[in-house]
This record gives sequence, structure tokens and C-alpha cells, in this order.
Amino acid sequence: MSLVHLANTCSHLQNASRARLGLTSVPDTKFHLRLMLALQNSGFISTVVRGGPTPPPPHSLLTHPTSTDPTAPIEPVTQRNISTRRLWLGLKYWNSSPVLEKMSLISKPTRRIWMDVTGLKQLVLGKDAGYVKGLRKPGECIYVSTDRGILEARECVERKMGGMLICRVG
Amino acid sequence: MSVFRSSECVFCLFSRSSRPAAASRRQFHATRVHQKRKPRFPSVKAANTEVNLSQATQDYRSAKNGTIPQHYSAEQRAAIEAAQKLIDAENLEKQTGLRTDPWKMKYYDDLTKIDPVVDKPVRAPWTTIDDNSRLKTEDELEDDLVNFMQRIPQPKHENDFDPTLWDKFDKNLRLTVGREEAERKPRTALAPELPNISDTPPPKKTTKGNEVVVEEPPSPALVRLMQMTGYDRRQISQLRVKTIIQHRVTNQTRLGKIHRAYVLSVAGNQNGLIGIGEGKAVEAGDAVLQSQYRAIRAMTPILRYEDRTIFGEVRGKVSATELELYSRPPGFGLRCQKYIWEICQCAGIKDLAARVTRARNPMNTVKAAVEALISQKDPEEIARARGKKLVDVRKVYYAGQT
Repeated sequence: MSLVHLANTCSHLQNASRARLGLTSVPDTKFHLRLMLALQNSGFISTVVRGGPTPPPPHSLLTHPTSTDPTAPIEPVTQRNISTRRLWLGLKYWNSSPVLEKMSLISKPTRRIWMDVTGLKQLVLGKDAGYVKGLRKPGECIYVSTDRGILEARECVERKMGGMLICRVG
Repeated sequence: MSVFRSSECVFCLFSRSSRPAAASRRQFHATRVHQKRKPRFPSVKAANTEVNLSQATQDYRSAKNGTIPQHYSAEQRAAIEAAQKLIDAENLEKQTGLRTDPWKMKYYDDLTKIDPVVDKPVRAPWTTIDDNSRLKTEDELEDDLVNFMQRIPQPKHENDFDPTLWDKFDKNLRLTVGREEAERKPRTALAPELPNISDTPPPKKTTKGNEVVVEEPPSPALVRLMQMTGYDRRQISQLRVKTIIQHRVTNQTRLGKIHRAYVLSVAGNQNGLIGIGEGKAVEAGDAVLQSQYRAIRAMTPILRYEDRTIFGEVRGKVSATELELYSRPPGFGLRCQKYIWEICQCAGIKDLAARVTRARNPMNTVKAAVEALISQKDPEEIARARGKKLVDVRKVYYAGQT
């Protein structure tokens, strides 16, 4: 679980949104995949598809590729092709501004931050907890790595689970 | 490493007739010359991912020439088949696509209805014109006069004549023969709602107790402001306009110093509109008026939560001045410095805290605060962008009686 790669991914997604890219790719790791699926669940990105070094073809009706497209099936990961796999992400735009505007790490490679439910509750209410600032901007999200996968901070509070704070997306 | 291209061997120019690439020439130093860097994994621009209409019609041929639904009658089906034979599919596809020329519209509209807000006002229709109308001849005018004279009641004494009768006749007298609308309401090139600017209205008189006060006509600058904003004089006087920064500025020329007055004003309707304006003039009074009118002209709507505070936390930055505005609960008040306080008063914000984190230049503070207020994002819009549904639980819990 390399936070260095995640830091690169965060800034890459921010840059790609500002460059108005529709489809971009990040390295394919299990950690990245789970975080990207959590982002997709929150509606920040439109699609997550595992593919090779070139962008997968778009679905014939949608504007972006999908993992369930029968005309472009996903190539299974093998030892031969695992090094070339990338996660292809569809970025979203609304009213000519990117949906994902800012994405930054909370835990750093040199200092990871764990938080229990009481701390997360404070964050979700918009109050600071420790050195972490609360969710005070409208629509801001914090993603937490727990033993049940990567969840949004509000969902963590609902399920009464703590974990490692990964990144802040807004 | 130098960003410019490194010096190259000039003699290499003669040895090769054509230059395939800059890198193929001999370099005079060891630093590598980078070609334009390309990403290892090519991304796709968002503009390129739109749906290809022509491709879709090729894929779904049933939409183009396929079976006609059974619920049409036999004649309708025959008509559709005949039309399909006549109309060239390629031509139809070419004509029905979205326009790409520079004069294409920036929005979608079916253009069949006239929107009173967006579209130009409707003029008198062409149908009022009557081609057969002509001026009345003298005989016909005489007949009209005779008819009028006959309808006048018999006078009882010498001066018994009602002048209103004649006025009415004069007003209703038609000078042309033909359709009445063509004379009374002719088509005009002027838009009907356009105000008549050229006429100077007489000064209004209002009685204030016993004395009569003559209202002065508005100054040309005020008239322009009224035309630009659409507000009338009373509405403009009801706006809250404050001059918050005022000082003298100097231009040093070789002939000496030229002083002028600088003024920054804020204007708002205390109900979600805010604008700032700067003015500079030799006379301080002129500068004040200039800045106030500019502020009124620049008024823009801002978002307010429950008409009292802002949505969440916003940041503003102008030059070295950076500030943060925070939303606060009801009854908190405005706990911020005086410039931001004035802006909030004009905009109608009642609960707010603010912190100016870096430089506190007054002019930049005002600009940054307004910029921050304008840059607020609507949570509804954010939710729609993410495909979520948003409910304000505050309203749910207290049944809307907050």
C-alpha cells in the first residue's frame, strides 16, 4: 500500500481534471482499485475499467468505456500482462467545471494517521480532530482505509468503524 | 539545464540536405536535448468522448429504415414509406446533426415559442398592413363632417356647444380607407418596450406639507445607470451603498505631482445582491459618485444559506491577501473586520466569521471577500453533478420551522 503512488495519483487526477480529460489512467493496484471504486460510488468519476497501455474503446451508447461491455471484454490479468495493466478512469464535468476539483493526501508516506469513530465523528461534523481539518466545505469527502475496505468517512461513522485516513476529495 | 536548445554544429547543416530531427544533429555538450515530452499512457480529451451520431445511426439501422410500428394505420404507413423513398438518408443525416459553424447557438431551444425573457419582444404583426388602404378623398372627409354635424344635438341657446364632442370627433377621425389597424397601429421598427429616451420629462412636483418641492431631473450619469440596470430612481435610492475606502493617489510626472481621489464603494440590496466599484477623479465627490454607480452596476447575486449565512467555508485570494469566511449558526452575528462587515451588511448576511490570513491591504481585502462570496458552490449543484440526492435535514427535523 504505497502512499507515494497514491500521492502521484492524486495530483494526476487533479491535473487531468483541469486539462479537461475525459479518460485517463492510473497504475493498477488493489489499493488504487478499491479507492477508485469508492470514488465512483460517491459519484466523483464515471467509470473504472482495467485495461492495457492504450485507452479501452467507449461503449457504443455511453460516452465512456464500461467493464461490462460485451463488445470490449476485460482481458484477464495474467503473469504475462500484469505489468502493463492500468486502471482507466472516466472523469466527470458538470456546468463546464470538473466534478473532482481537489484531491490531496491526509496520511503521508512518512506519517500515517489513524482515527477512531469519535475522531471521525468530529471530522464529519466539521470540527478538527488532531491535526486533521474537518469537512467544512460543501461536498467534501474523506476516504478511510478500514478492515472492511475503503469507505467514506460518513459511512465509517454510520458503521462505527475507524481506520487510516487516506485522502480528502472535493 | 538550459531550457533553450543547445548550440549545434553549423557544418552539419551542409552535410545534410534535409533535417529529419533536431536530435539527430551532433551536440556540443553532454546534456540530452528533450523532444516534446509525451505521456507514456495517452489520455482521452473529454471533448472527444461525445456520442458519434452518424456512427449510432449506422449501428441502429432499424431507426432509419426499419419496420414501421404496427399502431400506425395503413395510410400512415404508406405515407411514411413514400417519404422514406423520397428522402435521402445521407442527406437527412447531414441536415439533422448538430450545427458546428461559428454562428451556432450556445444553448438548446426548439425556437417554436417566444420566451418573453430571452427573445426579442413581439412587434405588431405584418398582418396589420393593408395594401388597399388609401387616403380619403375630400368628398369622403366632407361626408364624415356632415355625419358629425347631423349627430350634434339641437342647441338650446347661442353658446350651447360641447367642445368635447368636437375633440372626440377629431380624435376618432380616420384619414385613410381600409383596415382600421393599419392606420391606428401601424407596424414599427421600434421594439414596443423601448423607453422613449429623447423626451425630457418635466420636473415632477410633489407637495411636502405646504411647500411645493420640485424634483430635479436625474443627472446623465444616473440616467445611464438606470438604463443599464433597469432600476428606477426609487429602487436605486433603496439600495445600500457605502463608500468604505477613500484616499488620495498621486501621479508623479516630470512637471510635478498630480493628485486624484480614489474611492471604493460597496452596493447591495441587503437581500443577496452585492457589488463593488472603484472610482478615481480629481474631485472627491465625482470619484464617490463614479464608484457608487459602478458598484450598483456590478451587483451580482450570491448564495446564502437560509438567507442569513454562507454555505460552509470559502476562501478568497487577491494578490497577497488571503481570507477565509466561515458560516455560523443563527444569532452569531458578524464577527469580522469592518470591511467584511460592510460587505455582509450590503449583501444581507447576518451570521459570519472571517479571518484574513495574510496581507490585510484594505482594497484587496474587500475584493477578496466579494470574490469568496461569489465563488460559493450550491450544494444542490454539487449533488446533481455527482448523481446524488440532497436533503436538508435541518428542515426535516424542525418541520421547516427553523
